Amino acid sequence: MNTVLSRANSLFAFSLSVMAALTFGCFITTAFKDRRVPVDIHVAKVMLKNVDDFTGPRERSDLGFITFDLSADLQPIFDWNVKQLFLYLSAEYSSKSNSLNQVVLWDKIVLRGENTKLNLRDMKSKYFFFDDGNGLRANKNITLTLSWNVVPNAGILPLVAGSGHVSLPFPDTYETTKSY
Amino acid sequence: FCLFLIIFSEKMLSVFKNIPTHMDYKGQKLAEQIFQGIILISAVIGFVYGLIVEQFGWTVYIVLAGFAVSCVLTLPPWPMYRQNPLSWQPTLPETSGEPSQKPQESLKKKKHK
Repeated sequence: MNTVLSRANSLFAFSLSVMAALTFGCFITTAFKDRRVPVDIHVAKVMLKNVDDFTGPRERSDLGFITFDLSADLQPIFDWNVKQLFLYLSAEYSSKSNSLNQVVLWDKIVLRGENTKLNLRDMKSKYFFFDDGNGLRANKNITLTLSWNVVPNAGILPLVAGSGHVSLPFPDTYETTKSY
Repeated sequence: FCLFLIIFSEKMLSVFKNIPTHMDYKGQKLAEQIFQGIILISAVIGFVYGLIVEQFGWTVYIVLAGFAVSCVLTLPPWPMYRQNPLSWQPTLPETSGEPSQKPQESLKKKKHK
């Protein structure tokens, strides 16, 4: 029985199938792209404190304050399958209690069409850089890395680490500012 | 007032039933080929254009435009889909002799397009 409704149904179903195929094509055209770009991170100042961490085990923990500069050109990452980037700056270090600690210090969302040239000076970290003990004091190797999630229109959600990280030693004493 | 409503709705229904929706068999095939062709062409155009301008939204809009165009072209039973009407056998006069043979023949013809 061929009626207006049955024609509308087949037309709609066919359009949806074609749209799904196109979306898959959009994914395929961008699936194997390298989304790494060089990032320049520079740490200006580090301050270390030893304070009460009320979320932890009620002992004094190390708290770091980092002031950093960040510059990167994110333009090559964007294409027709990218809606937004979620950038985050994380610190990685090893302490006595954990072989690997990862702390997110700062993040930023870059929407499509916004300014893709990052050039940030004297940024303060958004989130507290707490260690769960005293692992920050005199730590010789704390690595800051800028990574990003690529939020696509269709397909996988890649997690990319920017090339160009910075490693720095932390101060040996509390309440002192170390400049780099 | 209720009676009026009922009469009114019945009239509306009969109006809807009188809208011609019929397509003949060749017209149905033609309509299907037309909407598939339009949507596929708009999909190809949209994909290439979206790839060039780096905006997947344009791809979607172009396919939607193709959808709208093919709705207009193939949903209503335009006269071009009624060019090949079935040639029915003329109505047989009611006869008492061998009533079962002839209707079956016409049934077969209908099945063969």
